[in-house]
Amino acid sequence: MCNSLVKFSSPVMMTILMPVLIIAMLASGTAYAGAVVQVTDSSGQPVQDAVVYAELASGPQLAKTANAEIQQKDKKFMPFVTVVQTGTSVSFPNNDTVRHHAYSFSPAKPFELKLYSGKPAAPIIFDKAGTVVVGCNIHDQMVAYIHIVDTPYFAKTDAAGTARLPNMPAGKYVLKTWHPKQPTTASVQEQGLQMDNNNPGLTVKLNYKAI
Amino acid sequence: MRLHSLESRVVTLFIGLLLTVQLAAYFAIGNAIDRNARNAVEDSLKINEKILLRLLDQNAQKLIQGAIVLAKEYAFREAIGTHDTETIVSTLSNHGNRIGSDLTMLVDLDRKITAFSNTSKNSRTGNGGGANNELSSSLQQSVATLIRTAEKTGSAASTAIVDGKPYQMVVVPIEAPVTISWVVMAIPIGKALVTDMHELSRMQISLLTSEKQGRWTANVSSLSDENASRLAQQLPSSEKQVNYLPALQIDDNQYSARILKLAQNEEFSTIAVLQLSISQAVAPYKELQRNILILTVFGAIVASIISAITARRITGPVRQLAETARSLGAGDYTATINVKQKDEIGDLARTFMTMRDGIAQREKEISRLAYWDTLTNLPNRALFTDMLEEAIASARSHEKSCYVLMMDLDRFKHVNDVMGHRFGDILLNQVAIRLSAELGPGGTKPARLGGDEFAILLPNSTKENAQDLANRILRSLEKPISIEDQTVDLGAGIGIAGFPEHASEAQGLLSRVEVAMYAAKLGNSGAIIYSPDIDKSSQQSLSLLSELRAALEQQAFRLYVQPKVGLDHGQVVAVEALVRWIHPERGFIFPDQFIPFAEQTGFIRQLTHWVMNEAARVCHVWKEQGIHLKISVNISTRDLLDQDLPGKFAQILHTNDVEPASFCLEITESAIMDDPVRAFQTLDRLHAMGLELSIDDFGTGYSSLAYLKRLPVHELKIDKSFVLKMEEDIDDTKIVKSTIDLGHNMGLRVVAEGVENLAVMNLLREMGCDQAQGYYISKPMPSADLPAWLDKWQEQQAQAQPATQSQAQQS
Repeated sequence: MCNSLVKFSSPVMMTILMPVLIIAMLASGTAYAGAVVQVTDSSGQPVQDAVVYAELASGPQLAKTANAEIQQKDKKFMPFVTVVQTGTSVSFPNNDTVRHHAYSFSPAKPFELKLYSGKPAAPIIFDKAGTVVVGCNIHDQMVAYIHIVDTPYFAKTDAAGTARLPNMPAGKYVLKTWHPKQPTTASVQEQGLQMDNNNPGLTVKLNYKAI
Repeated sequence: MRLHSLESRVVTLFIGLLLTVQLAAYFAIGNAIDRNARNAVEDSLKINEKILLRLLDQNAQKLIQGAIVLAKEYAFREAIGTHDTETIVSTLSNHGNRIGSDLTMLVDLDRKITAFSNTSKNSRTGNGGGANNELSSSLQQSVATLIRTAEKTGSAASTAIVDGKPYQMVVVPIEAPVTISWVVMAIPIGKALVTDMHELSRMQISLLTSEKQGRWTANVSSLSDENASRLAQQLPSSEKQVNYLPALQIDDNQYSARILKLAQNEEFSTIAVLQLSISQAVAPYKELQRNILILTVFGAIVASIISAITARRITGPVRQLAETARSLGAGDYTATINVKQKDEIGDLARTFMTMRDGIAQREKEISRLAYWDTLTNLPNRALFTDMLEEAIASARSHEKSCYVLMMDLDRFKHVNDVMGHRFGDILLNQVAIRLSAELGPGGTKPARLGGDEFAILLPNSTKENAQDLANRILRSLEKPISIEDQTVDLGAGIGIAGFPEHASEAQGLLSRVEVAMYAAKLGNSGAIIYSPDIDKSSQQSLSLLSELRAALEQQAFRLYVQPKVGLDHGQVVAVEALVRWIHPERGFIFPDQFIPFAEQTGFIRQLTHWVMNEAARVCHVWKEQGIHLKISVNISTRDLLDQDLPGKFAQILHTNDVEPASFCLEITESAIMDDPVRAFQTLDRLHAMGLELSIDDFGTGYSSLAYLKRLPVHELKIDKSFVLKMEEDIDDTKIVKSTIDLGHNMGLRVVAEGVENLAVMNLLREMGCDQAQGYYISKPMPSADLPAWLDKWQEQQAQAQPATQSQAQQS
């Protein structure tokens, strides 16, 4: 069991994923296997901050209520890339001394958090799959990406380009990989994934340069 | 000023040099100015091209800044995010107006123009277009190309041609915060740029466009429309990659131009032409060049004046010298040179003066030598002739007469020969003094014509004056002259002739007076006035002398011989050699007609030589034929005075291989008496050689018996004048008898000449005369005839006087 546990590099991730995992394990009680996905870009370099997620071939999973946080520190959004399941509410706490004006014109979730400091009054609920680019109207260099997926099986690559998907029931999935550097006009890269008890590591090679 | 004069050459040289240097400088400067101006224009064009580029860049930056402002607009981004097209277009329009962009567009990430605003004043129609179909493909292409660049660099600026018009176009991304769209803004490249550039650089700028590589059309220009179209015509076609035109001629102005390509697409290309007038660039230098030219002209004038003055300072004295030299050449030695300069010219002038003085001095000396006799200090022949000419001219004009006396000393040559030339010179001086004394002081001076010839000019005189003077001179010369303890007797012959009586001009008069003088000398008659008669004889004499010389050359002389017969036995014992002259025209000429003349003129020496030579030859011939006869040859006074005579005779005898004893030389008494001392010397030497001597014509002269005693003679010849008539004249008989006795008493052989009949011959034999010669025996005959005559004579003798012959044979 221990070896099947996803080791999260980030404590934030842990906080996001841990309940999901626990729920999944408790709910089915069937055999699970977690997939390890190695992501490289077109030049073969390992890619960090790539979002890897597996969607059931049958259709989207129901959205679950979850929370996530993108804090602003040192005039940066942290984390740079956030992946959440549909319906997740994301709070934007400002840990800087200056004010920020977070906004997004992304069709998935346009929002605006007018000049604020500290924790805004309410978190933003991302109820539609897609990519939301978050900016700050005051600080042009500040950018964050929120990728909203319709599946609980998702992960983000670490500095070595490795993403560990949580355990999921055997079955037929579509493995999708997204990265902020993906050209706007391009669609998300995807490949088939058959999950069983004995899944080897997967490799995804992005067809664009990500570094 | 003559063209070849020193002065003009100096001036020409000066000005030529100056002009050459100045003009060379002028053209060099002009050339440098032109080149520099062109270089400066080229550099300036390059700089201005950079300025233009910078201006364009600034415009682009300004536009980019404006676009960025728009791209950062939150509401605008929000409108984009929410696809609020109406708001987007109005924002584009508003912002475009605000920053002065003509075309303002929103372009999506697929490089499609999604919103479009045209705020240009010309085109209000396109304001608010959201659709793509009404936009030109050239715009869409340009935008797409620009965005392709911007995708790499963030923002981009370039030039583009839209609907045939050039634009500056910029693109900036709209970030929210990643790029969601592009804002494109464009401003036309046109009037504003040209105005800016023209104000900034004061340079002509034109924007031109060509369609499909064709001719250029001027869009906007700082030039006038006319000039702009001229420019367009001169530009090379757009496909040629030319960016610099060094020389463009527009409206009387030369320009250099730089071509800058602003924008190009498949259809159009647009260029900016920057042009700068070379003429204007050169203009300030032209002023300088004109000043140099003025300076050159002024310098040339000043140089001409200065060089002319300098040259005149040099040539003035030179010309003066030349003038003086010319008058010097004409014989004027009085001209002075007024040159006070201390330089080389002054030196030349002073040297010239010294030269002039030297020449004057020498000319005086030369004329003295030419006109004065250096020995006696009397005028010479040349001066005398001049004086005579003057006197004749004067006499002619005054219708008077003038006379000339010419005098020749007697025996002067003799004195000169015997006493030496120094003595002769002193003698001539004494004569000169005597003549001068006789003429009196202040009167006319005598002249020495040469040798011992003197002449006296008597202007304005009569024949009587002249004769009187001649007599006085003759009397004065009668007094002996004493020189160095020697007393010399002098005599002279004087000729007198006068103008206009005897001649009408000087030379004629001189020759007349000379003739008269010779006549006087010949006749020993003191002074003779010229008459045509003596002239005739003198002319004859002259021609005779030349004929004699010719005769000698042409061998016209013949040797004749007259036999001498021994009276005791009747045999021929000797012959007398006589000369005969066979003249080619006149025929046979007797010796009487030329011998005296030959003696006078000295020709007798040559004649004697000829006779002696011929006699020796004949003697040799006879000797070979067995005829041994003594040959007598006549010797004259002049022969005796010839110191070389013995030597010459010895030579002749030797050459012909004959003995001296075969010859007898006959000398007249008078020949000896003329100069007994030298005659004795010569006779002694001849005698010593073994030649026999005979006194010819004995009894006619005034010979001293003392002399006769001393003479080394062997024979006396009784003059034929006694012998011819002794038959009839008892006195002559007595003289002949006495002479025979005298001769015999002195131990001499006695020969009688002129025996013309038997009676005389017999008489002479009775008187004891040794030999006889004459026509009775034989006339003189050619020497070649003698052998035959001899044979005949002997035969005759044998018949007539066998007894005598046998007697002779016995003895």
